[in-house]
Amino acid sequence: MADRYSFSLTTFSPSGKLVQIEYALNAVNQGVTALGIKATNGIVLATEKKSSSPLIDPPSLSKISLITPDIGMVYAGMGPDYRVLVDKARKVSHTGYKRIYNEYPPTRILVQDVARVVQEATQSGGVRPYGVSLLVAGWDEGVEPEAADMKKDGGDSPAKPAGKTGGILKGGPSLYQVDPSGSYYPWKATAIGKHATSAKTFLEKRYTEGLELEDAIHIALLTLKETIEGEMNGDTIEIGIVGPPADHLLGYEGVEGAQGPRFRKLTKEQIEDYLTNL
Amino acid sequence: MDHQARETVGYSFSESTASGVKQHGFYPYTDNGGSTLGITGSDFAILAGDTRSTSGYNINSRMVPKVFKIGGDDETGEGANIVLSVVGFAADGTALKERLDTVVRMYKYQHGKPMTVSACAQRLSTILYQKRFFPYYVHAILAGLDEEGKGALYSYDPVGSYEREQCRAAGAAASLIMPFLDNQVNFKNQYIPGSGEGHALAAKKAEPLPLETVKGLVRDAFTSAVERHIEVGDNLQMVIITKDGIQEVYHPLKKD
Amino acid sequence: MGSPFDINGGACVAMVGKDCVAIACDLRLGMQALTISNNFPKIFNFAPSTYLGLTGLATDVNTVSDLFRYKVNMYRLREERHISPQTLANLVSSSLYEKRFGPFFVSPVLAGINQTTGKPFICGFDSIGCIDFAKDFIVSGTASDQLFGTCEGLWEPDLGAEDLFETISQALLSAVDRDALSGWGAQVYIIEKDKVTQRLLKGRQD
Repeated sequence: MADRYSFSLTTFSPSGKLVQIEYALNAVNQGVTALGIKATNGIVLATEKKSSSPLIDPPSLSKISLITPDIGMVYAGMGPDYRVLVDKARKVSHTGYKRIYNEYPPTRILVQDVARVVQEATQSGGVRPYGVSLLVAGWDEGVEPEAADMKKDGGDSPAKPAGKTGGILKGGPSLYQVDPSGSYYPWKATAIGKHATSAKTFLEKRYTEGLELEDAIHIALLTLKETIEGEMNGDTIEIGIVGPPADHLLGYEGVEGAQGPRFRKLTKEQIEDYLTNL
Repeated sequence: MDHQARETVGYSFSESTASGVKQHGFYPYTDNGGSTLGITGSDFAILAGDTRSTSGYNINSRMVPKVFKIGGDDETGEGANIVLSVVGFAADGTALKERLDTVVRMYKYQHGKPMTVSACAQRLSTILYQKRFFPYYVHAILAGLDEEGKGALYSYDPVGSYEREQCRAAGAAASLIMPFLDNQVNFKNQYIPGSGEGHALAAKKAEPLPLETVKGLVRDAFTSAVERHIEVGDNLQMVIITKDGIQEVYHPLKKD
Repeated sequence: MGSPFDINGGACVAMVGKDCVAIACDLRLGMQALTISNNFPKIFNFAPSTYLGLTGLATDVNTVSDLFRYKVNMYRLREERHISPQTLANLVSSSLYEKRFGPFFVSPVLAGINQTTGKPFICGFDSIGCIDFAKDFIVSGTASDQLFGTCEGLWEPDLGAEDLFETISQALLSAVDRDALSGWGAQVYIIEKDKVTQRLLKGRQD
């Protein structure tokens, strides 16, 4: 019955603030910058991979993770907390969705599930909030935004469902940020971590509507370059993309209807190719 | 249906008995599966059956006919004007057919004229009822031409209750075939378009179908039954009785 | 005692046509040989152009239809979209398997048109959720043997909406007339891409 007396550590201050959450945000704002940009045909997630020692083996360090075949995630803040959330996100995508509907959750549903986990840590006994902000990028099957717009112009469909930004009625790419409070926001492009403010200012300047994935990757690297502290190469940069189905990653072929994962991480060589063209 | 199959198939391990005393039983009947079907027209009758013989999930044979000419020549069956189909327990079926065949031939010897179908139908009922308490475990269908030359068909339960009908399916797939026949032979649930509004709509009257139509229905009925019933298959035996005699044809069915 | 599946009686069938699907059920509710009601529909709507038929133990038909009403409503609120027939099929399957060792005594039949792909979809389930993805037709209930016979005999590929209605109606009515536990009228739904027609068939009242 110990939990009877283990009150939540996150309690309101007289001014109405939850200072534990603000402290968690402080941890995030000291974290390495991570950013995400949504394109028409995909999304890019990018971050710096800082190693404290030249003895660290860079490929063994991974900050961008696959959650479902079409959804990936990156963080700013505390690495260990992030890994716990990755585990929980992967788990909930199965227990809360795939094992029920035999399909992976749409991005917003996964984001909500992860946000719930994060929120619960702000209200439960004996725990502290997660010290991370997340960027979640995913692709949803369904009517893509352009197709939906075309349909509206046609005007021959009376019962067109109302789509909202990043709404579930739309297929295609979506990018979300999840904060330690459990709040989540849809973005066209954003950054989290130490240099988030300057990175976002940079993104505001460079972002245009109708961006393609290749442009987005280019902008991501330029933004990173503005804020990066060390050298920029295939070992110090990590990039994850949500793009066209990567059937070569299936591990098999010839199965009708099988679709490769849309989320994949770029290899060191691929990153360096992009860097030389920068 | 599947309950029976499970009982006869059994498991590879023996069931333990608490007392350790072995119980012996005598089971005089087996279900050999298969299905039969008869339809009559204005001047013909068709009796058909598949040729598969099963016990449990095993196929004993792919060529065991279930339709027999009654009262004809020993070997060829020539001279017969009555046809009998039996489905259920094959041994009883054979015994019943032998007995009825003998009776009909004895009738011809003693009376100097062939037995009418209606007389044979009544006689078959008597034979079945005589074994009221150890029945022939079969569903029999008897077919021929009546005194007016019209197709005649009589169907029986195992203890001799019988009825003259336009069409009848019996055996393993009877439940599959019979409602199809109701619809396609007796036009059940069919109405004449434009004959009235709502409940005043006139029902489509059943009338004798031409031979070719009936042949088609028989084949459709069996190909359908084969698709959904594992005890039906291999070959379709079709026996057609007209005033010109008895014609017997075989068609292949799926063998899976 | 008889199986729980044949206490109340009832039949349901679904068929695929060209750019359309149909689902139909009888209206009888009985207790063994005694008929209690001749107005007990067994088909329930879960999204525009997605219908679920439930035969078996009547109390479970009610419970399961209510359970899926709740689950599908929750899905729609959470996801801000209608559930697709395929997704509903998997939801039905996993929900039934949850009760693997104390099942609902129902045999569901699902029919619908996927609004994203525009393709017809039907499937059936056993009482513990094994899905039967059929391309032609699905039958369930106490008249399932009879329905197998009539459907196998009457159904053909690429039937138009009107022909499909005629086919499924004849198949169901003829089948339930040979089953003492089913009948007493029927309900038929013809589902097209953006039109659903519901028809009530009188049938034999015995």
